[in-house]
Amino acid sequence: MAKFLANGVRHHVQRLPARQDSPGPAPVVVFVHGVFIDTLASFYFTLAPAFAAAGCEVITYDLRGHGKSERPPSGYRIDDFVTDLDALLDEMGVTAPVHLVGNSFGGTVAFGHAVRRPDRVASLTVIESGPATRAWTEIMAGALYKVTVEPDQAMAWFTTEFGRTVANLTPPQQAHLERLARAATRLMETTSIVLDIPTSTTVDDEALRAVRTPVLLLVGGGGLVSDETDRLQALLPRSRTVVMPGYKHAVLVEAPHQVGEATLAWIREQHAAATPAPEEVETG
Amino acid sequence: MSIEYAPLAADADVVLGEVAGMIREVLEEYEPEDLEIGMATRFGEDLEFESIDLVAMADHLNARYGEVVNFAEYLASMELDEIIELSVGQLVEYIVACLRAVEGG
Repeated sequence: MAKFLANGVRHHVQRLPARQDSPGPAPVVVFVHGVFIDTLASFYFTLAPAFAAAGCEVITYDLRGHGKSERPPSGYRIDDFVTDLDALLDEMGVTAPVHLVGNSFGGTVAFGHAVRRPDRVASLTVIESGPATRAWTEIMAGALYKVTVEPDQAMAWFTTEFGRTVANLTPPQQAHLERLARAATRLMETTSIVLDIPTSTTVDDEALRAVRTPVLLLVGGGGLVSDETDRLQALLPRSRTVVMPGYKHAVLVEAPHQVGEATLAWIREQHAAATPAPEEVETG
Repeated sequence: MSIEYAPLAADADVVLGEVAGMIREVLEEYEPEDLEIGMATRFGEDLEFESIDLVAMADHLNARYGEVVNFAEYLASMELDEIIELSVGQLVEYIVACLRAVEGG
């Protein structure tokens, strides 16, 4: 299991090399998973193999405190996660601009990276997600407040709340959710994450208008961010929205093929636009 | 600690023994009590595997079988419920089929 020390935290990384040659350099795609119950497994067993088979260099990693990465007691603001990602790319020797794909909270981290390091981000795909605006921190504070006042109810709260994000929850998924909720409870009990997330530095409208990175907003029809998406698309100068009707916040795990197709088409388009055609390279 | 393996064999009993060893390594950090691992054992319900433990399993499979067995691709072809309910036997049969395909090819 590959581990990289980035920003003082040992991160679990999985890389899938491109399994198909492409003319010119292969696009480098970095998948960033969601918070609490999520790990890199959400991408590793859905989009990652297909992207590698389609000729992408795939990188996915466990965020600090999650999966098989180290769980430090503090440092869980968006800025910390962004610094982790930036340092991780350095440690892995990735110098080309990357295509970031973030699910839920991972999309917020990816947005933060595009704002801080636009030179390093070729494109952004955010699934059921958005930037860390003031409204976002207020929603997170409201959602996490219950956990801070009734910590012994944290696990029950998780299974209920996350159960609501799935359009069709089956009995095996319910049992799996309870196992994942145990990991989330460990994270909340042993770290400052619940206090840190809502006190993250926010991104204002002016900063969003200045984002030159192409952004794909992928949303579930009945998801958590559909109300904000129109406003976000109006602010971002280069953005496109794709709505997946019939799905909620958990659209990535419920409709991986549709999400994968839309994301891969978008990345190919952005990669082609940013890469000189082979003829131009030869004659230039 | 890494495991010393014999040459690859497309034999279900041999593969089951190897897979069981890998499962014990993955679960080592949870300090499980004596584990009975058979073909009917399920990763989720019986072994309490979280999805990230299956990624660790993929690392072990890759170290043992190389590109012959693509566990990530195998799981990506399944519905979520099928992944959650995956049994050791299903994995063993998949590995044996991959090894046979290589032997036959």
